[in-house]
Amino acid sequence: MNPSEIKRFSIKFGGESGQGINSLGEILAKALKNSGYKIFGYREYPSLIRGGYASYQIDIANDSINSSSQFCDILVCSSRRSVYQYLRDLRPHGLLIHTLTAVSFKPEEQEFIKLNNIRVKYIDALTLAKEQGGNALMSNMILLGALSEIVGLDLAAVEHIVSEQFADKPKLLEIDLKCLKVGHELNIADYPLTYIKHEGWHESKIITGNHAIALGAISAGARAYYSYPMTPASSILTYLAETSHESGMLVKQAEDEITAAQMTLGSMHMGTRAFTGTSGGGFDLMTETISLAGIIETPIVLVLAQRPGPATGLPTWTSAGDLNLAIHAGHGEFPRIVLSASDFESAYSLIQHAFDLAEKFQTAVVLLTEKQIAEGLYNVKDLPQDLEINRYLLTDNGQTEKAGLRRYEFTEDGISPRWLPGSDLPQYNANGDEHDEIGDVNEEALNAKLIAKKRMKKIELIKQTFPEPILYGDNDVDITFVGWGSVKPVVNDIRNLLSQNNSDLKINYLHYDYLFPLKTEKLLEILKTAERPVLIENNYLGQLGHLITAETGFKFNEKLLKYDGRPFFIEDILNFINSSTNG
Amino acid sequence: MGSLCNTYFENENVSLKDYYSENIYTWCTNCGNYGIAAATKRALVAENIVPKDTFMCFDIGCNGNGSDKIGGYRLHGLHGRVIPVATGAALANRKMTVIASGGDGATLSEGIGHLVHAIRSNYNITFLMHNNCNYGLTTGQASASTRPGIPMNSSPDGTTADTMNFMNFVLSLGASFAARTFSGNVDQMTEVIRAGIRHIGFSVVEILQNCPTYNKDTTHEWYQNRVYDTIELNDFDNTNLDSALNISKDMSERIATGILYVNPNSVPFDQRLENRKGYTTELVDEVKSYNNVSQELFSRFV
Ligand SMILES: Cc1ncc(C[n+]2csc(CCOP(=O)(O)OP(=O)(O)O)c2C)c(N)n1
Repeated sequence: MNPSEIKRFSIKFGGESGQGINSLGEILAKALKNSGYKIFGYREYPSLIRGGYASYQIDIANDSINSSSQFCDILVCSSRRSVYQYLRDLRPHGLLIHTLTAVSFKPEEQEFIKLNNIRVKYIDALTLAKEQGGNALMSNMILLGALSEIVGLDLAAVEHIVSEQFADKPKLLEIDLKCLKVGHELNIADYPLTYIKHEGWHESKIITGNHAIALGAISAGARAYYSYPMTPASSILTYLAETSHESGMLVKQAEDEITAAQMTLGSMHMGTRAFTGTSGGGFDLMTETISLAGIIETPIVLVLAQRPGPATGLPTWTSAGDLNLAIHAGHGEFPRIVLSASDFESAYSLIQHAFDLAEKFQTAVVLLTEKQIAEGLYNVKDLPQDLEINRYLLTDNGQTEKAGLRRYEFTEDGISPRWLPGSDLPQYNANGDEHDEIGDVNEEALNAKLIAKKRMKKIELIKQTFPEPILYGDNDVDITFVGWGSVKPVVNDIRNLLSQNNSDLKINYLHYDYLFPLKTEKLLEILKTAERPVLIENNYLGQLGHLITAETGFKFNEKLLKYDGRPFFIEDILNFINSSTNG
Repeated sequence: MGSLCNTYFENENVSLKDYYSENIYTWCTNCGNYGIAAATKRALVAENIVPKDTFMCFDIGCNGNGSDKIGGYRLHGLHGRVIPVATGAALANRKMTVIASGGDGATLSEGIGHLVHAIRSNYNITFLMHNNCNYGLTTGQASASTRPGIPMNSSPDGTTADTMNFMNFVLSLGASFAARTFSGNVDQMTEVIRAGIRHIGFSVVEILQNCPTYNKDTTHEWYQNRVYDTIELNDFDNTNLDSALNISKDMSERIATGILYVNPNSVPFDQRLENRKGYTTELVDEVKSYNNVSQELFSRFV
């Protein structure tokens, strides 16, 4: 299948940070969605407040989509830099709208425009906005009006969103609405949308992966969130703080990530549900706490929202480069669990499973996400089903018998009875020094061996509890992708596109939500007969691949790896399929 | 102070033996920690707090090696991190009496940021700072409170950084409760810890602790000859922060002890949370499904 056959329409807004690109994209996205179109939103922005270049892209398709295209059909630019940055992202016959009084294209750019039949349209948005009594920001309304006319979107749908958004500024709203109309009357081009409008779809929401995590946690009874701002985890903190009056959650911006992790551990130890979230740099600071949770067997839940490292790296871009970090963080040997979200639904559900698993196995659970998921704008209708809340405490069934109770009892399966401080049961020491069954310091060789064994036994049990990776697609296919994280929706969107196009080439995808400890039974079964297994990951090393090799000895001959801060676009995968099957 | 109060040993709901542990202490002979452990137990008994309602958090160091020599629920965490782990616990269940203990090494180095922000946030816990002016457990390195010119393990020519006055530092940050006591005076320590427990807010108790093995500079006798109780002063007002700051400065001639400062208008962190006003439950009691809340919040999205 050729990328030109992709049934999708993409509109991209480009500009500087601070030009209102984000709200421009948001308004159009909501208006499209309210008109029945299924969409996916993707934002790019630099790590600065003013300047640089930023974009907001909306992809539209007939079915649910959860991924972006690299290319777009309409590009709307309100800064010089963004014109040059994004020009080459236009598809053949694409439309470039810009607001620059004078643009001069280099010969190569002119060539590109000519070769691809790109249409270039200038809108003097600022003058038009000023004529309506508006300012620079309101020139965005001129563009929105023009755009809705171009794609055949009912202006009322846009007006509705704008009116809601600026309801508290009636004077400005009046000008905004005038600007919309003026833009709408410009009549500069025709690119009518030919996509299915879905009945009742206006009830769906446009919402990010971080909102999914926050809402999932609220629903699961998380009563405290301790965190320190770091993109792309920050919006969990922001949103939980903004909704803390409704939820009653204790939301604290801690002085650093060490504190955030320690406070979380303290609150979890006392018996509430608490969690923390950060990105790689902050997670580095949390590792000692994970190690402590391992030995005192106190549950803790940490969200690790990945962006490209090392160090500050690319703060506002995406990556799946911290699987190794999550698996290895913290000194010493102890069981831990690593899960990974891949879209809105899994983010909502997995944070709930994270609490459940942490409390069941009395250890640390890391939930991985990526900037692409954290800030990806998903178009969803309902929240997923909640997981039933279980606390796995000895006192759940009203235990009052104290005799023989040992908090760190050497049990058969490695899970010892847990009860909370404040219970009228034997008081124990949660001891970060090696200890015996009641928590007292013990440096004897035999005890050291027995308690290490007890803790490590949990690994087998966790593996048994974990679901196998999910296979999307049929068994008998040409290419089997294996991956985790945000690649899932991209590969699945490709699967759909291929079958819609009745393509001869068929793919399936084996996806890991539950990454560590790694389950390999189903994987090995599939690999036995897979025609062409391909590892796909948003990192350089192929970290899941390494883990699979370590566990099974299997080595992937083919890897599709991306590590430029950008998510996989559908074209990346199509091109891979095409180049490797044609050549 | 001074008169032995019999509720130190036996109270309505609890007696000293309830905090007893069979484990044998591993501190040096004449270590200040013996007195501190005794005073802590007495204070808890005198306040009629039963072990199941006590949560004691210990830092890493000689102080932390007492974590399994006392009753009550306990957590022996990481070096320098006792304050955040204890505050996280305290916020989850305010019915528990939370006491955090840490040394000067931990508190003034790895943990100093936590101290500063805990004072700002005024978390309702009691913090016992075991100030023996050195790193005891790692065999006598200098800490930030070691005095100049004293040869220590790893600084044979004395420290090259200036000495910190812990109490003065804490007061400069406006701690809502700040007391100083001496490990050789168990009665005063007991009373000061009791007051710290009763105080609603972040109670800092600096314990000038002798370390017979590694601190040959400020010994038990050295302190004994210099400490005085501010209660003996006629005109000392311990609700006046400036007076407290002033009186805390002298750490070489006459060393002020007792409750140096109490903010009568202390508002603890949990009472500062607008969104938690009106809640009578604890976070530990509130874990249940809030699906109605998440559905309502979800419905607000466009
Ligand atoms: C992260 C970390 N760094 C260093 C140590 C080693 N260590 C153990 S106790 C200690 C210092 C103890 O001094 P202090 O806090 O004054 O307590 P004391 O032993 O004097 O009571 C150090 C550095 C450690 N346990 N963890």
